[in-house]
Amino acid sequence: MYSPRLHIAIMEPSRIIFEGLQTIICHSSLDCRVSRVERLEELTEMMEHTPVEILIANPMQFVNLEKEVKKLRKSYPTLAIAGIDFGIIHRQSILTDISFTLYDTPEHIIHSLTRLQEKSQHPEEEKEENNHLSPREIEVLTCLVNGMLNKEIADHLHISVHTVVRHRKNITQKTGIRSQSGLTIYAISKKIIHLEDMEI
Amino acid sequence: MFHTPKTKVRPATKMAELIDANPHLLLMLQHFNIDFRVNDLTVWQLCIRQGISENLFVSIANLYNGFDIRGPQPFTRGDLLLVIDFLKSSHDFYRREKYPQISSYIRQLQENHPVREMKLLEKFFKEYFDEVLEHLDYEDSTAFPYFISLLEGGENDRLGKRYSSKVYGDHHTDIELKLQDLKNLLLMYVDIEGDLELRRKLLFALYELEFDLYIHSLIEEKILIPSGQRIEKEVNV
Repeated sequence: MYSPRLHIAIMEPSRIIFEGLQTIICHSSLDCRVSRVERLEELTEMMEHTPVEILIANPMQFVNLEKEVKKLRKSYPTLAIAGIDFGIIHRQSILTDISFTLYDTPEHIIHSLTRLQEKSQHPEEEKEENNHLSPREIEVLTCLVNGMLNKEIADHLHISVHTVVRHRKNITQKTGIRSQSGLTIYAISKKIIHLEDMEI
Repeated sequence: MFHTPKTKVRPATKMAELIDANPHLLLMLQHFNIDFRVNDLTVWQLCIRQGISENLFVSIANLYNGFDIRGPQPFTRGDLLLVIDFLKSSHDFYRREKYPQISSYIRQLQENHPVREMKLLEKFFKEYFDEVLEHLDYEDSTAFPYFISLLEGGENDRLGKRYSSKVYGDHHTDIELKLQDLKNLLLMYVDIEGDLELRRKLLFALYELEFDLYIHSLIEEKILIPSGQRIEKEVNV
């Protein structure tokens, strides 16, 4: 049986809003199916057997469940979340990738969802392009394996501590190695530093 | 990390079928001190035979099978004492079996490939092992005695009011992070060739340890700490 590749779940208690969104999506060019879920738990259960690519949610339903949402994202890195902006929360919620309001045009909403779908389908590509450390990151790494603290690295390279932390985060993301001693072995394997400079 | 195919554990499922789908459950049986000859018993029958509450057994087995514990569960004090025995038994498994095994594989690999990276890798593992031992010792000497005394309803003179489930929760660290580093170094970076058999054995041992450590922390986070906090509230009312 034919089944569309894109599965959108909508988590919105108002039936009027749910059916409105469903109609807009079904009348668009998006090749997808739409499910309705009442609560986050229900979504988690659903995702255990059926993949969901996009969740459209009323962010009010995430209140006090921030931890659960983050965990869900960690378990399903390709899940994209679109928030419905009711104008109550002004700040873009960190839990959602994009948001739209109920007064946006259907075209606008579909456009946002299409872009989100593309992102959800190709999350790896961006990562792969950048798997190599930048020259700056190599400098930070060299300082790190020489036992320098963030503050010392910042002074040495004339950058802020905040930037050092950002570089460190990127290094870990790209190499998959978190600990300082692990990074030392990485740096030696990649011949970024030479063992003669180090004491074993 | 390795993920098992998800089979939801239910009281009426046959234990042997569950093991067949996820052999890691053998380790769970061992930690519960249950013999592997499970005949054609269902989970429910096995629990009766062993005197373990079905709720506890199913919850832990489901953690092994990749299902979270939803909401607060009514674990009894007896259940939680069993949880402590379970965790102690897994400590034993790490201390006496898994770490020495991994350590000997790394030693052998280092001897076969005396490159400096391997020397550093061995040092890395040794440091990591020391950290883990310290953590296990802390749980055995401080956290578990506290919980046992709390569960048995005795006065907690030695630790007094200073210790609590919350303190334990804060002290609770992710000891599997460095393990991931070790795995990634071996899979992606350390420059040695050949010796596939030994390297496969080492990696399998690391995966097995990582999986069990992961479940171990889940049991502490999802069962022991919340239940401990609940009982502390009851005691203090």
